Amino acid sequence: MTQVGHGRVTFSFKDAINLGFSYLRRRRDRSILNIASISLGLSFYTSLILTDMFYQTYATLGGASQSVESTYYWLVIIALIVSVVGITNAMLISVFERVREIGTMKCIGALDQHVLLLFLVEALLQGLVGGLIGYILGVGAALLSTGFTTGFNIILYVQPVRLFTIFAASLGISLILSTVATMYPAYKASKLDPVEALRYEL
Amino acid sequence: MSSEKVIELKELARHFEVGGDLVKALDGVDLDIGRGEYVSLVGPSGSGKTTLFNMIGGLDRPTNGSVYIDGVDISKLDAYELAWLRCRRIGYIFQSFNLIQVLTALENVSLPTVFAGLPRDEGNEKARQLLESVGLGDRINHKPTQLSAGQQQRVAIARALANDPAIILADEPTGNLDLKTGTEIIDLLHKLNRSKGLTLVAATHDLKMIKASDRVVMMRDGRIEKIEKGEAPLNHN
Ligand SMILES: Nc1ncnc2c1ncn2[C@@H]1O[C@H](COP(=O)(O)OP(=O)(O)OP(=O)(O)O)[C@@H](O)[C@H]1O
Ligand SMILES: [Mg+2]
Repeated sequence: MTQVGHGRVTFSFKDAINLGFSYLRRRRDRSILNIASISLGLSFYTSLILTDMFYQTYATLGGASQSVESTYYWLVIIALIVSVVGITNAMLISVFERVREIGTMKCIGALDQHVLLLFLVEALLQGLVGGLIGYILGVGAALLSTGFTTGFNIILYVQPVRLFTIFAASLGISLILSTVATMYPAYKASKLDPVEALRYEL
Repeated sequence: MSSEKVIELKELARHFEVGGDLVKALDGVDLDIGRGEYVSLVGPSGSGKTTLFNMIGGLDRPTNGSVYIDGVDISKLDAYELAWLRCRRIGYIFQSFNLIQVLTALENVSLPTVFAGLPRDEGNEKARQLLESVGLGDRINHKPTQLSAGQQQRVAIARALANDPAIILADEPTGNLDLKTGTEIIDLLHKLNRSKGLTLVAATHDLKMIKASDRVVMMRDGRIEKIEKGEAPLNHN
């Protein structure tokens, strides 16, 4: 049963969520910064799309037609890139802080891919929360920027399915961006040599 | 002690190249360790003790020679099999404890059972029992930072035992502890060795630990200088 060379170590997605959640919760400051970074970028994105949508809806209701200047979309892209770089940086620091722990985990049976999974799951959890908050902030910002012209009840005239589509998009973008941002740090962590990692002094 | 060999080292060598120089961290080590044996590894700093542990645990590959665990040449194992070996057959104890800081004592001890594929409640139950057996039954939900050094090392010992390994590798387990706490840890390890038949290999400078062991392996410059029966080697530096 426990013979040498028999059997496989395991580390499921659920295991990774449990452990990743512990890391995010205990390192609250870092997690909050990451989530803030991604949610600000996304709130910018959603607020622009929704502002446009609110004006369009307003026009179909007989109001004056307006639209968002296209240069703003460039700013959105820049904001998202900045948040990706910020998260990459924060996750790299997190890898350095955890070198010994990663080495220890490999000592008790973790494979490279388990370490990779752990970091990616942490990214996904942050992305999920970031996307959610980004969407809520974006809705608020869009209402603030259009409400005085269109009336704040404009949101009630937008088809719910369109709101939901944007919600899904903002969540999706958030998940993708935080995963992309974490890919390199997670890869680095997974490739750490346990012997070197255990010799490493902070 | 017993005639059954758990660990066999054959002409084991590990060389490092550092800035053009060759460092022979291990330079031809031959050693057999029997099941249930308690072996102390002593030697000056840099003599190769940690490197030897890394070899036995399959964390590092030898430059030359081989390591057999339960008769299996571990250089023949792939990454999965090595991970399994580290997870199920070997328990590590370090000088600096190396607990996962964000996890509670219970979570630290149950982590190896996660990798072993044990269902969660079984792993937790196991961890609870082990923490109780090392005298920390009332501390299971404490984080490492909330525990004393000696208590942290007890958690680490419980973690090392989580998957019922055959071999415990302890690299200076009392190095960061005061005399009294260190003695308690030594007694605990000794008790585990005797009661569970665990093979215990410990690198140590601690005379008490050396005295308690069946054999004392003295290393110098990557070689075994001398092997003595326990109780005797008080004349060593
Ligand atoms: N990764 C490495 N690269 C280069 N040299 C190394 C490496 N690991 C170990 N060495 C060298 O190998 C020798 C043995 O080191 P090792 O850590 O095994 O000694 P040790 O007996 O555990 O010492 P200590 O009692 O200080 O822990 C030392 O000279 C060390 O500098
Ligand atoms: Mg050492």
